[in-house]
Amino acid sequence: MDKASVDKKSIEAQVFELISYMTVSARNLIEEPTRYGPFRLVDSASRLIDIVKSFGLDSERLAGLQAKIEGGKYSAMGPEEEYKTFLEGLVSYLVDEIGK
Amino acid sequence: MDVMTAIKKRRSVRKFKDRPVDTAVLRRILEAAVWAPSGGNAQTWRFVVITDAEMRKKIKMVSPGLLGGPPAVIVIAQDMSLAREKGGKMGPESLTKMDSAMAAQNLMLAAFAEGLGTCVIASFHADAVRKLLGLPESIVPQLLISVGEPDQEPPSPPRAFEEIIWWEVCGG
Repeated sequence: MDKASVDKKSIEAQVFELISYMTVSARNLIEEPTRYGPFRLVDSASRLIDIVKSFGLDSERLAGLQAKIEGGKYSAMGPEEEYKTFLEGLVSYLVDEIGK
Repeated sequence: MDVMTAIKKRRSVRKFKDRPVDTAVLRRILEAAVWAPSGGNAQTWRFVVITDAEMRKKIKMVSPGLLGGPPAVIVIAQDMSLAREKGGKMGPESLTKMDSAMAAQNLMLAAFAEGLGTCVIASFHADAVRKLLGLPESIVPQLLISVGEPDQEPPSPPRAFEEIIWWEVCGG
């Protein structure tokens, strides 16, 4: 098997894993606490960044976003204001990047 | 370790070291689980210990609440047919959930005393986990517990002791 086909198999497996996480989340979130929804979205974003990193895509802005997500995603379990501030911080970061 | 220390110091751990948990330790924490109270002494719980990497990966794919890479996952399930037989309507509807929760707490405290981190997880697709583990329809997974050496020290969320504990009457 050549390298390209191995890589395709690997990326398919990682994407399948992420899609399973997102799809089961979609089903479960109907009954789960509301604040789990934003958590799953930003956690999925972080997992997607992991996938592209594993295939050698080097992006400073994605790495920056992931660091922010990983640094604050568990504020989902804390006070609501803290969680909102964390999510607002992610949006601000994206807006800064979009505006560049 | 005294009980109060374990109760107060235990945290929900979502980041683990990539080191397997010794089988003897898993047996000890499972023993703590089965010494939990059980409604009507029904003991309809069943525990599935997952250490195989491939199975952990599969379970994780249908368990959004299972975060980090714990080297062991313990599924607390309940035999609903037996629960109905022993506990009537109340068995499957409520007693099994309470029993699973009490077993989970015993297990997590024992794990903490062994130097392990745990997290109790309700965010998973029960039927998907059941099918992946080959459990019959009558045995329903209710909780997952991730187990492993902690790779983080989560902060302690505050407890509003004075607001939530009342003496004798409401608000007292």
